[in-house]
This record gives sequence, C-alpha cells and structure tokens, in this order.
Amino acid sequence: MKSVARCALALAAPAVLGSCDYVRLLRPSVLKQLNPPVVRLVNELPRVDDVNEGLIGGLFARGGLGHAKVGGDGVMRATVRIPAGEYLWRPAIIVMPKGGELELDIYNEDPYSYHAAVLPSLGERHALMLPVNSHGKARIRLDQPGYYWFGCPVANHVTRGMLGFIFVYGDTPAEAKLDRPPQPRPRN
Amino acid sequence: MTTLIRRAVRRRALGAQLATLVALAAAGAGCTRALPNWPVTEQSRPFAALDSSRRGSAPPVAQAVTPERLLRARGEPHNWLTYYGAYDGQRFSTLDQITRANVASLRPAWVFQASPLGLTPSPATYSLEAAPIVVDGVMYLSGYEGYVWALDAATGELLWQYQHSVPLDVAHCCGNVNRGVAVARGKVYVGTLNGYLVALDAASGRMVWQQPLADVRAGESVTGAPLVVKNLVLVGSSGGEYGVRGHLDAFDLETGRRVWRRYTVPKPGEPGSETWPKDAWARGGGTTWITGTYDPELDLVYWGTGNPGPLFDGGPRPGTNLYTSAVIAIDPDDGAIRWHYQWTPHDVWDYDGVNENILFEQDGRKLLAHFDRNGHLFILDRTNGQFVRATPFARVTWGEIDPATGKVTPRIIPTPEGVDICPGPAGAKEWPHATYSPRTRLLYTPVVEVCARFKRGPTVYREGLYYLGGEADARPHEQWGEVKAFDPATGRQQWAWRSPHPVVASLLSTAGDVIFAGEANGYFNALDARTGEVLWRYNTGNGIHSNPVTYSVAGKQYVAVPNGWGGWIDGYAPELFGARRGTALHVFALP
Repeated sequence: MKSVARCALALAAPAVLGSCDYVRLLRPSVLKQLNPPVVRLVNELPRVDDVNEGLIGGLFARGGLGHAKVGGDGVMRATVRIPAGEYLWRPAIIVMPKGGELELDIYNEDPYSYHAAVLPSLGERHALMLPVNSHGKARIRLDQPGYYWFGCPVANHVTRGMLGFIFVYGDTPAEAKLDRPPQPRPRN
Repeated sequence: MTTLIRRAVRRRALGAQLATLVALAAAGAGCTRALPNWPVTEQSRPFAALDSSRRGSAPPVAQAVTPERLLRARGEPHNWLTYYGAYDGQRFSTLDQITRANVASLRPAWVFQASPLGLTPSPATYSLEAAPIVVDGVMYLSGYEGYVWALDAATGELLWQYQHSVPLDVAHCCGNVNRGVAVARGKVYVGTLNGYLVALDAASGRMVWQQPLADVRAGESVTGAPLVVKNLVLVGSSGGEYGVRGHLDAFDLETGRRVWRRYTVPKPGEPGSETWPKDAWARGGGTTWITGTYDPELDLVYWGTGNPGPLFDGGPRPGTNLYTSAVIAIDPDDGAIRWHYQWTPHDVWDYDGVNENILFEQDGRKLLAHFDRNGHLFILDRTNGQFVRATPFARVTWGEIDPATGKVTPRIIPTPEGVDICPGPAGAKEWPHATYSPRTRLLYTPVVEVCARFKRGPTVYREGLYYLGGEADARPHEQWGEVKAFDPATGRQQWAWRSPHPVVASLLSTAGDVIFAGEANGYFNALDARTGEVLWRYNTGNGIHSNPVTYSVAGKQYVAVPNGWGGWIDGYAPELFGARRGTALHVFALP
C-alpha cells in the first residue's frame, strides 16, 4: 500500500508541479530572467503598481498573463476581467499560440466605472462597450506574429493602467525568409 | 508499538507531502474567484459599424484599370493611375487648367484629416508620404499604421477604410510610414510594415489576399508603393539598416501567387558575387524601398537599390558590392537583371541608390535621369546602361565623379574620430522625387543641403539589430533646401529657388508650366517652371514629406498634397526634429 502511494506520488508530482506557476518560477530559464533590474521592479511593485499608492496609475504588468486556448473549431478563446477599482485588465497580456481568430469574454466587475475595449483586428479595429457589471464578447482576427495593444478608450484609462497586449507567437513564413545561411541572433 | 508509531509518523509525513502539493497546486491555479454568471450583453463591432459618416463602398471604377490602360496613363490626365502618374516617372501632368497666369487664385477645395490611434512611440511617426492614386473620381491613399483610405476625389468624403493589423514590434527604419498603393483590375495593392503584400477589393476595401514577402525577424519591412507591370505586381523590400539581403518580388495580380524573387546581392557563384568577400553577401543590404519605372518598348523595369551593409564601415566588405547603391534594369517577366549601373561603388556614406529613374527622350535617344543621394545628376542610355553624363547638383565633398567617363574617386570616408562630409547620410536629394516637363525639357529636383560628421564605429552583426558600423550626425551644420532646374542635355543648372529648410517633398510639373513644391515648414508652393519665381503659396500647417498629384473631376483640375512631418528627420532636417506633428491631405482648385 505504502509503495503504491509513493509510486502514485512520484507519478503525480511532476504533473502537479508542472501546472503550478509558483513552482515553475524555479526553472533555471526563469531564474535567469530575475536579474537585478527585474528583481528591483518586483520589489517595487507594491508601491508603484497599485492605484493611488506611489503613483496615481498602475502598471499594466500587474494584470498578468494568460493563454488563449485553442478550441475544436480552431478559434482561440480567453477570458479577461476588469477588477473593482483597479483600472486593470486581468490578464493584461493574452498569449495566442499562433495567428488566427481570438474570442474574448470580458467581464466588467468594476462598480466604479463603465469601461470599453478598443481591440486590434485585421482590416479594422474593434470596439466593445462594457457597462458596469456586464459581460461582453469580442471576436477579432490577428494573423501575423508580433505583439499588439488593446486598451480602454474611456477617459485616460489606458494610461492609468488599462493597457493590454496580445502576443501572437509564430515565425516568419518560410516563403518570406531570406535565402542565406542562419545568422547570429542578438543573444548569441 | 514502536513499529506502529514509525508507520504513523511516515503516514503523517506522507500526508504532509500531499498537503503541500495540494496547496501548491491550489496556489498554482491561482485560487481565483468564480466568474460572474452574467449573460453576454455586448458584442464587439468594427469601427466601420460605428462611423455612420462613412459610405462603406466605392464605385467599381478600379475594375476597368487594366495593365494595358496603365501603359497609356499619361493619356488620362484626369486620373493619376500609378505611383509616378505614368510609367516613365516624370511626375508630369498634361492638365492645363491651372497655369502660371491663374495659379495665384488657387484655393482649398477640401481636407482629409487622419490621426494616429496607437502607441508607436516615435517622433518620426506622423507622416503621410504616399502618392494618392486617382481613378475616375475615386482617390486611394495609404498612411501609417496600415491604413488605406478610399475617398471621393471631388469632395473628400470617406468611402471606405482598411487597417492592416500591424504588430508594434516590427522593425522600422525611418518611421511608421507607407508611400502608396497600386490599383488594377478591381484591386488595391499595398505593402505593410510587417512584410506583407495585401490585395484589397477596390470597391469594398475588404482583403482579397495577402502574401508574406519580408522577414520581420531579420529587420525587413515593406514601405514602398507596389508597381503593376503586365499581370504582375512588383514590390520591394525595406530594412537596409539591419544587414538584410535586399530583393524585389513579383506576384500574380489575381491570385497573389509569387512568380519570382530577385535578390540584389548575389550569392557565391552568381554574377557579381566576386565583388563581395566570403559571407558578407548574406548581410549585404541593397534593399529596394522606392518604386521603379518601366519602359514598355524595351520591356525593362528600372529599380534602384539601397546601401550595402554595414552602412559606414567598408572593412567587412572590400569590393564594389554589387548591386548595392545602383540601378538594375530588370526583365519584368522573370526578374533577370539585364544591365546595372552603380552610382556609388563601395558606398560607405549611406547614399543608397534608390532614388527614381526618370525616363525621357532626347534627340531620338532613350535616356534615364537620376538625381542620386551622392549629389550627382546622372544621365544614362537606358537601353544598355551606358554612362552619358554626371553633374553635381549640391555640395559634394565625399568624392568626385568624372563628368565624361563616370569614374568615381572617393576623397573622404568615415573615420573613427569623425570627419565632416557633404552630403549627409540622407543625401543631397532624399527619396522624394524629381520631375521632368516635356514642355520646358527641364528636370526639376528637390535638394537637401545638409552635411554631417561621419564616424566609423564597431561593426557587429546580430539579426534584427542595426548594422551600421558607425554613425552620421547632421546636427552641427548649416542646413537649407532648394528646388533646382537642370537642362538634361547639358547638365547645366537653369534656376534655383531656396527654402529655409531642406526640401523633402516630391515635385510635380504640369502643362500649365507650374512646379508644385512642398516645404518642411508646411508651405505648399507653386513655382514658375521657367524661372522658379514663387507664384502662390499656402501654409498647410505641417511639414510636407510626400508626393503631390494632380487630377480632374467633372472638368475641374485639383492638386492634392499629403502632409505630416515625420520620417528620418534627424537625417535630413535635424533642426526640425522638434517640429509639431499632424497629418492631412490638402486638395486645391481654382474658384
């Protein structure tokens, strides 16, 4: 019985640890990012990244990062919340694993203000109104890799913290690459 | 008993381990509050659905623009069908309603304004640089941030708008800009800063196809206007500052299928490769960011190529570095290079060679005129690239070009300590275009009188980063601009008109013997084509760095000039780096 439990633990631990963001912080590739300037930023966050603390606004980074999930229909989906009294998208960074269509469910849980979202999309930007205590849905298309901004166009909410980014992962299509040997990248 | 206790302790330890894991997993999951159970009450909508002032569609006039019609573009003076107005690059219109005698009465007809909505954090951003295309009363204009607009050419009413979603993290050389669209067979073709050629439905503005042609990770982008030749759309690459390998691409008009790509820097074993040392060709530059011209009789496309990489340090690339800072004459069917002429062999001053090649005839001879950034007006025989004449048209100290043979003798190259050289890195004429009037038989060019302190510096290549090998600082020098008229038969200057700032807007000549010239301070001027006298001027409110055009609707002649101060200001007019920004298209007509 004891050995069965240990075996189960040994099998489950990597899966559990792998899904635990706090433990994933301990990966060497992540620890390498925690250079002195980054550590100083993290230590300063309680002061500079809270509305009306050190600053009047807040940093977008506090909203964190979330991954859009690819559905069976190929559309990527993510949920974004606007928490009460924080002028913040949570997450503030949405990662699309590839180019394509993105469906966002956005909840305005901020009782202090109505909000809205201006979002990038191929052909024309989209706008989504978000009254207090509302749930809106946006369907946009971002085909090409890189990062794009979105924000709340109400008053100056963008510059007070409601600035978000959508990261689209991907590489230059093969037919557009230069015909030449591989070249050194910036960190080589 | 002892064994039982030991087992119990072990069980407890096991339980503690499990509890820890559960706690970590819970923490990892974030322990977030459940989502509210609110139904969806709001749906996102495109801006078009929130702009009732927009008509939403344009008359299908572009459907009838065939490649055959483009061959005879000058015969349709009411239109401006292609980038230079006609394939010859003359930027001359036979419209003659507005003349030297009445241009003083020119008045604003309408204004189209646009404003950036975004974060691209550069003071060089806010510039409209395009040549508007006009087809039977509909104008197609491109701008920054992937915008294309269709406008009523008589009223300025917005018919439709397209915005390509361009990521923030693409590499720009010199601003968030675009120099124009091409129109044919019912489609509008535009290049994007993230390296795509996009075909839009000219009636609705909706995308029909898109094709990648530039490697954004290597620092490439697309800023120039495409050129339609026969059943192909030709488009060049930008990014010469990033050590890329320049190329020109051709796509099928209808399907977007790539038909050919021609690199401007040869690989080992290809003709011209002997002008490069081992490996340097792969970062050799030679981008093709300004639209070419076309002679249908010779069936040759003339396309300029940019600087070699690195810009200011010739050490890593001994040799003449073909086909950089040159013109290549290309067979449009397969992209083969028929001949070439290199304006600046082994360029170490960032003089590029991209400026337009104007096609004209003289004494029955097919010639080509080119005002190069290196400060010389070149005349070539365009059938074979044979040198005819070279004449300096601005201050030149970098070297000499024999006016009879074309032999180039460099005199001053960048040094580690820094040395003053004329012209500066933006050249004696930046990309904005010259014009040729068949009526006066004169060439007219905008002139940038800017010198700079050139310094050679360390050269390290990393993909996607600047590959400059030094720098050029134009700040400490006296700067001004001019419009100059030259007789291509002799190379002699006929007149010059001086502006307080470098002139960085394309010129336009008309059959009314008027030269239209924009200034960096926002003034739009009409000059007498025969004397250079200012006949009319209007303050558009913002610097002009674009291509004015003329056209007519219902018998009324209009002159249109996009404005907006931006681009590589620190290169060509650093004394105006802090000047205000703002963009609009101003259109004028007689009362």
